[in-house]
Amino acid sequence: VPGNRQGELRLLAATGCLGYGFTEVALQRALEGGLDLIAADAGSMDPGPYYLGAGLPFVSERAIERDLRLLLRAARAAGIPLVIGSAGGGGGDPHLALTRRILLRVAAAEGLRFRLAVIGAEVPRELVRERLRSGRVQPLWPVPQLTEAELAATTRIVAMMGAEPLRAALEGGADVVLAGRCSDSALYAVLPLMRGFDPGLAWHLGKTIECGGAIVRPKTGQDCVIGTLREDHFEVEPAHPDKACTIESVAAHTMYENPSCFTFVEPSGEVDTRAARYEALDPRRVKVSGSRFVPAGAVTAKLEGVALVGYRAVCMAGVADPVLIAELDTFSTQIVERVAMEATSLGIAPSSYTLTLRRYGLDAVLRRPAQAQLPHEVGLMLDVVAATPEEASAVLAKARYVAMHTDFPGRLCSAGNLAMPFAPSDIAVGPAYRFSVWHAMELNSPCELFPASFEDVGA
Amino acid sequence: VTLLGSLAKTLRSKNAGAFALTLDVLFRDQAGYVRASQSPNLTADQIALRYGVAADQVRLEFYPQALALKVTMPRSVPSGDPADSDVYGAQQHVPLMLLDLDCPTTSP
Repeated sequence: VPGNRQGELRLLAATGCLGYGFTEVALQRALEGGLDLIAADAGSMDPGPYYLGAGLPFVSERAIERDLRLLLRAARAAGIPLVIGSAGGGGGDPHLALTRRILLRVAAAEGLRFRLAVIGAEVPRELVRERLRSGRVQPLWPVPQLTEAELAATTRIVAMMGAEPLRAALEGGADVVLAGRCSDSALYAVLPLMRGFDPGLAWHLGKTIECGGAIVRPKTGQDCVIGTLREDHFEVEPAHPDKACTIESVAAHTMYENPSCFTFVEPSGEVDTRAARYEALDPRRVKVSGSRFVPAGAVTAKLEGVALVGYRAVCMAGVADPVLIAELDTFSTQIVERVAMEATSLGIAPSSYTLTLRRYGLDAVLRRPAQAQLPHEVGLMLDVVAATPEEASAVLAKARYVAMHTDFPGRLCSAGNLAMPFAPSDIAVGPAYRFSVWHAMELNSPCELFPASFEDVGA
Repeated sequence: VTLLGSLAKTLRSKNAGAFALTLDVLFRDQAGYVRASQSPNLTADQIALRYGVAADQVRLEFYPQALALKVTMPRSVPSGDPADSDVYGAQQHVPLMLLDLDCPTTSP
């Protein structure tokens, strides 16, 4: 019989994202029930291409430190592994380095000793180019095939690791694993796979709890979820005594952020949950059985890469004048045209920047329905992306002036068209990136791109 | 008028990766699921019109066991590109929510 106590493994998903938090009550209660592993995903590409490109997390360092301190203390006290995936958000080298620095700071402050494994996930462009030329890079729907020009424009690429590199780190004696870009589910599948549990259940359990509190009701921010794996089923329950998992919250999560309802793809294969059965054990615990794992033919890793687009500067202002709001379509076109002339006079080619007028209240998020009434206020964001920070600021300053002081039919407010909420009105945002690589690359082995380095902390 | 949103207990949109959008509809009951799945208006063509993408790129999957509908389509602008308006894709459910199941000739 695999596993520890009575052939079971109890895994804690501390939070859906390191830095989003969890309650200390939940962590304490989970520890009291006995645990075999604590893990937390720290990353996502949902917050957009900037964070991967800039090498920065999308949560605060303070929040990462708070969560890491509590989890490290708990894992060391219990003598169980702590595994952090997609460290620092993007899971690239600077993200890993930042998370490692925070971890070492916490370890020193708490006087903790442990063996640390840091697993990199950045991929050199040269390797991708070589595999592209040998036909071993494929686009992921609906992205077109990668070109060498697009690859050359790409500034950082990460590959998503599966369970095998995590396993190598744990088998190398790591007490704490900081992994670069990593499958969320793999954080929880790794230990069950090492102990010989059913891979379909192991991966499905991982997928179910990887978002932490997302399967917990009521949904009030993030919190800890406990997954208990046995030979032929798993159970999930919230660690917090006042919260609940329901059949619906658990079953619906398989389809979340996933193009299919019943299957999901992992680096080493596909998990099929069509035959899965969900049973409520009591008002807060759900039992799941029947998921199947179908191994993939070739080992592939998903690649995510970003390219620098330019530098952004923005200005947010309010429009309350009903005459201007009624004229805003024509007015917006005029602003863009006049700014192009002004930019040219500064030696900045209009083709070298984008000026996007985001008209909140009107149509900034979605196309405006034809019959929609006009709002009484519009938030107007002037959004410039140009080749350099200086050019972005120069174009934005012109755009702000032009929007403030251009006539429109019926204009009475000849002193100014915009309400500025504060000064300075113009904000330099920094570099802007776009996703340029979203492909699958064949690997020679599951650990090929993911080297682990070990160190003894506090020794 | 029967808006799709009036039959749902969950109707959400989110990125399925940086280049695709996936919308989940969980119906409140069997009757609502049947009503929607039999509507001549709940088609790839009608959804494509509302989202400005090609109809052959819209994947529509009904799941009777879960009383669910999943719609997946390419994003017209990738997440975070300069012209994008919704990096997480979290507010793109509204055109689907407001789709009228009764009127087969609605235009966006």
